[in-house]
Amino acid sequence: MESMTPISCPTTPRWNQDRPFLTGRFQQETKASSKFADSKRFPLDSSSNSGVEQAIGCYDTPVQELIVIDDLLSAMVGVEGRYISIKRFHGKEDSIAFQVDPSMDLALQELAKRIFPICECFLLIDQFVESSSQFKNGLVNHAFAAALRALLLDYQAMVAQLEHQFRLGRLSIQGLWFYCQPMMGSMRALAAVIQQASAKHFVGSGVLNLLQSQAKAMAGDNSVRSLLEKMTECASNAYLTILERWVYEGIIDDPYGEFFIAENRSLKKESLSQDSTAKYWSQRYSLKDTIPGFLANIAATILTTGKYLNVMRECGHNVQVPISERSKLTIFGSNHHYLECIKAAHEFASIELVSLIKDKYDLIGRLRSIKHYLLLDQGDFLVHFMDIAREELNKKVHEISTEKLQSLLDLALRTTAAAADPRHEDLTCCVDRASLLATLGMHKDPDSNSIEDPVSITGLETFSLSYKVQWPLSIVISKKALSKYQLIFRFLFHCKHVERQLCGAWQIHQGIRSMNSNGTAIRRSSLLCRSMLKFISSLLHYLTFEVLEPNWHVLHDRLQSTRSVDEVIQHHDFFLDKCLRGCLLLLPDVLKKMEKLKSVCLQYAAATQWLIASSIDINSQSHTQKTMIRDATVTESIFNFEREFNSELQSLGPVLSKGSQAEPYLTHLSQWILGVSKE
Amino acid sequence: MPREIITLQVGQCGNQIGMEFWKQLCLEHGISKDGILEDFATQGGDRKDVFFYQADDQHYIPRALLIDLEPRVINGIQNGEYRNLYNHENIFVSDHGGGAGNNWASGYHQGKGVEEEIMDMIDREADGSDSLEGFVLCHSIAGGTGSGMGSYLLETLNDRYSKKLVQTYSVFPNQMETSDVVVQPYNSLLTLKRLTLNADCVVVLDNTALNRIAVERLHLTNPTFAQTNSLVSTVMSASTTTLRYPGYMNNDLVGLLASLIPTPRCHFLMTGYTPLTVERQANVIRKTTVLDVMRRLLQTKNIMVSSYARNKEASQAKYISILNIIQGEVDPTQVHESLQRIRERKLVNFIEWGPASIQVALSKKSPYVQTAHRVSGLMLASHTSIRHLFSKCLSQYEKLRKKQAFLDNYRKFPMFADNDLSEFDESRDIIESLVDEYKACESPDYIKWGMEDPEQLLTGEGNASGVVDPKLAF
Repeated sequence: MESMTPISCPTTPRWNQDRPFLTGRFQQETKASSKFADSKRFPLDSSSNSGVEQAIGCYDTPVQELIVIDDLLSAMVGVEGRYISIKRFHGKEDSIAFQVDPSMDLALQELAKRIFPICECFLLIDQFVESSSQFKNGLVNHAFAAALRALLLDYQAMVAQLEHQFRLGRLSIQGLWFYCQPMMGSMRALAAVIQQASAKHFVGSGVLNLLQSQAKAMAGDNSVRSLLEKMTECASNAYLTILERWVYEGIIDDPYGEFFIAENRSLKKESLSQDSTAKYWSQRYSLKDTIPGFLANIAATILTTGKYLNVMRECGHNVQVPISERSKLTIFGSNHHYLECIKAAHEFASIELVSLIKDKYDLIGRLRSIKHYLLLDQGDFLVHFMDIAREELNKKVHEISTEKLQSLLDLALRTTAAAADPRHEDLTCCVDRASLLATLGMHKDPDSNSIEDPVSITGLETFSLSYKVQWPLSIVISKKALSKYQLIFRFLFHCKHVERQLCGAWQIHQGIRSMNSNGTAIRRSSLLCRSMLKFISSLLHYLTFEVLEPNWHVLHDRLQSTRSVDEVIQHHDFFLDKCLRGCLLLLPDVLKKMEKLKSVCLQYAAATQWLIASSIDINSQSHTQKTMIRDATVTESIFNFEREFNSELQSLGPVLSKGSQAEPYLTHLSQWILGVSKE
Repeated sequence: MPREIITLQVGQCGNQIGMEFWKQLCLEHGISKDGILEDFATQGGDRKDVFFYQADDQHYIPRALLIDLEPRVINGIQNGEYRNLYNHENIFVSDHGGGAGNNWASGYHQGKGVEEEIMDMIDREADGSDSLEGFVLCHSIAGGTGSGMGSYLLETLNDRYSKKLVQTYSVFPNQMETSDVVVQPYNSLLTLKRLTLNADCVVVLDNTALNRIAVERLHLTNPTFAQTNSLVSTVMSASTTTLRYPGYMNNDLVGLLASLIPTPRCHFLMTGYTPLTVERQANVIRKTTVLDVMRRLLQTKNIMVSSYARNKEASQAKYISILNIIQGEVDPTQVHESLQRIRERKLVNFIEWGPASIQVALSKKSPYVQTAHRVSGLMLASHTSIRHLFSKCLSQYEKLRKKQAFLDNYRKFPMFADNDLSEFDESRDIIESLVDEYKACESPDYIKWGMEDPEQLLTGEGNASGVVDPKLAF
């Protein structure tokens, strides 16, 4: 029963523990401490006594009966009589036995013994009431004890009535036995409950579960069952108040740690934008394993209801589930009314929160804006950014100044279509240390360092964007989700870079169109350039129009109709996972091939300037029709590039078709990149 | 404001289609006739700064130069409803106002004379932009100013702005009718040489096809210039949508063109657009799905270049590359399905010597222009059949040249002085080799075309298919 949160309840004052007079236990305590007095209590030999009390056997049976009744009435409220003593077994808590003077008439003895159980029950209950009223035992125990106390009052009233009858001389021991009968069953059942409860130190839901299961077990005995149900109801009232505050206000008001929802205060909502595991949402509030049986089926709903309300409260919206009289939670009465109330509250909270997140915090707009920048849906800013940040990005990773990149990024955003979107200000840039492949490798297996990064890794391989997401949107767009966006961005970014370089190479080729290139390998080179461009633009086309855009479409449609934030999160995560998969980021084999192809493209693009320059005949005098010269090394290197590129491209085919059985979208990719002629 | 594009509209035709183009751009961006942003144009997400810049009073000014040697069309613009849109410093009309008399040589020569003045204007515009991406030239190739002066400008731009792209929208003359410009074949040939050597990309707008489309597709009995020009402006604006409404890809001109143009000289593109409408004309509204649009774009009747090929030759013709710019509300999954369908039906005949497929760019549609159709599409394609257009030009030229007709008008100008007609011959040779190159593209062995025995250069590089002699192959 250890609770997760430290409970700060007032401690029971020492005097109350040291002097347990309120329990009536002092009677037995004092006796237990003075065994001598005890042994002298029932001397078999009455003559040795002071004479005031003689062994009961000395009296006539009718007199004995009167004495026994008198003693029994005392015993029923836990007081020893002259010939009835209470024996407490040490070591075993709560095991008490009543004893009668053995010299008593046997018939009377038998009758008296039949009444003893009720006395024992009374003692147990009374003790329980006292002990469980201590603060540390929690609200449920307090409530239960209070209900028991009320019952004990009835019981004591009964004893008083019986005594009155006795004084009037109308009570025989059989009469006493008879009148005790109605109480007997109840007291026994309660005592049984109490015994279990105190043996196992139940608090909170444990008590409630016990009471309910006992009530069910006693289904045959109508009066006992209804008594136990009434006890359950009383005891659960306190619990339901906690529950009500949670499902109606999202507040945990649980000083004794009885509630089945635990709050982990060490997780702050700000952690969502830093912690890459998104623990806040899943672990800030969690279910304990002590769920009361009657709430077991709906516990998850209860958890989310309060969570949602809590989010809204954290946002500064004092949202409360509208409470009517009907919405007061009670366990009994109309059929499972409380379940409906909880469901209604859940419905309210989730709709309210979803509309808050969608309308006030504009989730979809936010996602769209992330899509603009991180998925390059509005890629013009990137063109400009790559123009102005070229130098900085070409540096080695540790030489890059993030501040400079940031200011260039801001500039690029301000001067392109992004300027119209005020959210572009939330965009920041970051430079990772490792290449994409290495980062992905780490994602799978943090220990392996199998993929060694080349030393020459530059900002182009590691640049990434980040996006500041504020609470409460960080519930959906958590750091974890953002890092997935970033992975996709980095892949797209590098593809764009390759495309740009190839476009540059294409432009260099364009520069020589007025020269006669017949008979040189330059034409071959421009066709190779075309093939590479075709490859990279097909890849980009596949990534954007075949993966990102359709999946976004699905997400967008789904978000329109979602009714709870958990659904939103689920759809969003699904979207991201699908995109990651579609963007080949979870397929190391294919990804490695792509990286290889891209690096061939980059090498070629870098070499183009030289290839072309060494093909121009500087000595040619004719202005309009310069002819290009043939250069063996140029031709050879063009052929080498061509061969390398084609063989890489060819070897991609089997890799893709191998993967396409598990991942059908790879067929799309291979159609794009390899065309149909290869089929 | 990065990646700006400066538009040069030269000559009568160039200015007319340019004017229509700016009209269309203003409509799409919600810019009023005076250059002021309309109140409703608040939606953002578009890039006005590629084609416009803002004056101190925030009104939008086109990055356009209006150049002509005779004042008629430009006066019309200056008195028209868009007169306040343009920067008046950017309007050049020659002092004498006499035009070029449909003579290429005159236009070229006059261009040389005013080079300084025009280059000043261009430099000023170029300095006013952050990182100029390139120039767009609108002109016709048949007349005098657009062709001659346009040619001169192309050469100068290539010299002075060698790192910038030059794209042209070139209107080819209607060859079905007898033209009032008898020297049209001369002018065309001389201009084609510059288009081949000095432009990065030429969007061919064939008046023959435009007329045919107006008559057959739009059911206009006598299409006016204004009507065919609006077709041109539709094409021009649609081909720039990816620059103006940024998306995943093709956000800069170089990216757009690089994937379309295979070799430096094969940079002539043909276009197709669907569904076509002309202002104030009630059209039958068709169902437009992505597949419908893509399928229609491949139909020759929608293509704005007429093919003069005989049937046998036409069947040889192949697509080198295709970019479909689809505008409107499109479910992206439809794109894949449509491409799949087109592939299955074998609707496109692609070249065999390299990878080729239809590329698709999805683009936003202007929120301010209401159209009856949900989806519209523009096709930019490099197709080998375009060589027949050049062949036709060549044959018309040959006819005229054989007769030595009208050459006197040209001899008046320095380039052809002393009966030096080598410029004609040189141009002819270049166009002929261009035609040959396009023809070679139709063969699966194109990759080896023009290479004189690669194995000779690379010893030990055994190639199973052996050496292909270009003369044998074609």
